[in-house]
Amino acid sequence: MTSADSRQTASPDASSPSLASAGQATFDLALRMGGLILAIALVAIVMLILKPRSFNVDVGISVLRAMSSVAIMSLGLTLVIVVGEIDLSFGAMYGLGANSLAVMWIVLGVPIYAALPLAIGVGALVGLFNGALVTWLRIPSFIVTLGSYNLLYGVSLWITRTSTFNPVYPPPGSEIPPAELDFFTSLTASVGAHPISLEVAWMIGLALVIGFLLHRTLFGFRLMAIGGNPVAAQLARLPVTRYKVIAFMICGMLAAAAGILDFSFIQTAQPNIGLSYTFPVFAAVIIGGASLSGGKGTVVGAMCGALLLAELQQGLALLTPGPHVQQLFLGFVTIGAVALDLALTNIRKRRAA
Amino acid sequence: MNVGVDGIRVRNLQKRYGNTVALAGVDLDIRPGEVLGVAGPNGAGKSTLVRIIAGEESADSGELVFNDRPWTPTEDWRRVAVVHQEPQLFPNLSVADNVMVGREGGGIGRPRLGASDAKVMEAFGIDRFADSALGDCTLATQQRTEIARAVARDAQVFLFDEPNSALTDEESDELFHEMHKLAAEGRIVLLVTHRLGDLCEHAGRVAVIRDGRIRTILEGQALNEDGLAQQLVVDSGADANAAHRGNARQDAVAVVTVADWTHDNAFRGVTLSAAPGEIVALVGVEGSGARELLRSLAGLEPCSGAIEIAGKSGDAAMRLAAYVPASRLFSLYSNFSVGDNLLVRLGKPDIAGFAMALKRKRMRQRAVEAISRFMVKAKSISQGVRSLSGGNQQKVAIAQALNCAPRLLLLEEPTRGVDIRSKREIYRLLRDYAEAGNAVVMFCTEVLEVYEAADRAHVVGDGALSPPIAVREYGHVEALATDIIRMERHARQGD
Repeated sequence: MTSADSRQTASPDASSPSLASAGQATFDLALRMGGLILAIALVAIVMLILKPRSFNVDVGISVLRAMSSVAIMSLGLTLVIVVGEIDLSFGAMYGLGANSLAVMWIVLGVPIYAALPLAIGVGALVGLFNGALVTWLRIPSFIVTLGSYNLLYGVSLWITRTSTFNPVYPPPGSEIPPAELDFFTSLTASVGAHPISLEVAWMIGLALVIGFLLHRTLFGFRLMAIGGNPVAAQLARLPVTRYKVIAFMICGMLAAAAGILDFSFIQTAQPNIGLSYTFPVFAAVIIGGASLSGGKGTVVGAMCGALLLAELQQGLALLTPGPHVQQLFLGFVTIGAVALDLALTNIRKRRAA
Repeated sequence: MNVGVDGIRVRNLQKRYGNTVALAGVDLDIRPGEVLGVAGPNGAGKSTLVRIIAGEESADSGELVFNDRPWTPTEDWRRVAVVHQEPQLFPNLSVADNVMVGREGGGIGRPRLGASDAKVMEAFGIDRFADSALGDCTLATQQRTEIARAVARDAQVFLFDEPNSALTDEESDELFHEMHKLAAEGRIVLLVTHRLGDLCEHAGRVAVIRDGRIRTILEGQALNEDGLAQQLVVDSGADANAAHRGNARQDAVAVVTVADWTHDNAFRGVTLSAAPGEIVALVGVEGSGARELLRSLAGLEPCSGAIEIAGKSGDAAMRLAAYVPASRLFSLYSNFSVGDNLLVRLGKPDIAGFAMALKRKRMRQRAVEAISRFMVKAKSISQGVRSLSGGNQQKVAIAQALNCAPRLLLLEEPTRGVDIRSKREIYRLLRDYAEAGNAVVMFCTEVLEVYEAADRAHVVGDGALSPPIAVREYGHVEALATDIIRMERHARQGD
């Protein structure tokens, strides 16, 4: 083994002509990312011109904080979309993550150190439920997760008895040990000269982990293969079922984590939180270059998509042109990004032919 | 000019796909009232001719005349009906709606079945299914619906394209009965099939296509299965030496043995073994059970019985087999580069190590090695796999399976749609791989492929295996073709 390795390392693979030219897929990706980064820079420049005084580090930081929960969920959704499935339930899972933590910790008195992993575990269980129905019962994932979206929201309403929780002001009769409260708020505490919430650090850390998983491991390699050609993967006896279930589980856990982190930052949890995140997260993943037909998608793309959306949101809030503009922009950017992508691909194909 | 002759006249029809000549000048007369058979090896231009007459594609040059008038099928497609092995209809609609769809008229109300449509449906015996959803009907009923739909719109030309490969004997008898009725009513009928027996029985004349030309038209006494089988392979440049026949070590322990191998409906009680170095061909038409048998050896079809591969049995054995499907749609990943396609079946420890991290340097090396070892002509390993030629794509598909070092390689029609040079290289690859102490089992529909690549062949008919045919003992491909067609006939009459 060692001798074979050293021999192959010695072979001049870097100078081999077959490695010299970059592949078309890489080129497409670079084009897509270049466009995205350009759009992000463009929005920043427009803001700088229109509102030069609001353009400072603190606004930048608040954009990063605002994007973090969308970004964390988009990481999980990217995995599910890459493997060729859809998850509509993560927004409700975000709410259930925060609310189940609140109920366990504030109402039932479970120590935060146990309640936190348990709430993440709920996310894993929900993913298992989604994945099992999709793979073993062969129900389309759109339908399964549309159903579980409602199920999860129902469970949130049920366990919270439709009430709002704030650990600083626990309901009469329950008591939160100060150490536990400190631990919980420290998860997203703001640090530094320009206060930046640790939630941004969580986002970056999770993006690195999922990015490694998707782009640098066998798991990610096979996830791409399964999404690209599920029939071929089945015939080659790749572990299609297991990988799909795992993708759904990671998606559920990340949604729970996003809900918990936002709960820690905002300090309140209500049964209906997270539901409105469903479409922005989808938009971030699609703008980032993932294909709903599977086999295509990157972590960097999803992160840039989330950044662009948060930037637009923050910028438009500063310009205050009215709430409709934000929605119009979200719509244009989503359709425009995919339309541009298709147009560029067609031009390239015609050139090649 | 023979003025006043009805029917279709095809003159000097030509069609190219890139560098591949599909039709090199086809001349053919198709007369109304007769059933004209069309036979030819895969890739000979048969399906291109059918697609052009059906109006699904246009020819590059040449002349098509219908009843003495120039004819453009791509515009005048309503005249032509194609009866496929998989009916191309609307499974969600009722049988009656299927007959009607496309001719609903411009009314605002929901269209209703006309009296003439009802008569047509009655004539084809599908009136009693009129309100059933087509998807719930048997394949035979679906095909009848397809024919009735075409008759109702007054189509004049009927192309039967491998129509009975998935039908029972009784159903296909009924289908041919309808086919003869169409011809008797003065319509033009073409029958394209691999089943030589059906051609001899049902066609008045059979045109044999090879290399994009009509080589001969057999009729009368000359039209028999042996003659057809020989015509399909004659002058084909068959070269037994090209296959570099190896010496299968028959005395050595077999790489694979199956006994009493039984499938739910495709085959039963099959016994088969292959020695190291041996390439075994399973010959059979669609629906013979050969395809299912091949797939079952990789654990892709549920089967009962005993299987042993390289000393392992059961599921562990089948993990030592790698299967390459006939269609590259089911073997290649179009979102992946050539290199990634070559490596996709590998796992730990070949391309991944600790924490499943990919060994990227090792992957590049392995991909570069595989490209040269399997003679894939690619500019770079990061090139998209769909940009390769068909032959090179097929090499990637086979290399993908060989890369995970299986002991038993299972191939379906390994050189379908592949140019002649890639074909030679693929046979070379298979031989080299077998010589290294492994076994290859392939499913073939072409005698030529059996002759050039295999050591031993079995004809699969009606779910059972024929006695072995020692391919290397044949000096001429024609003789092999004759023997194989006899065995197929024997298998058919066996029940």
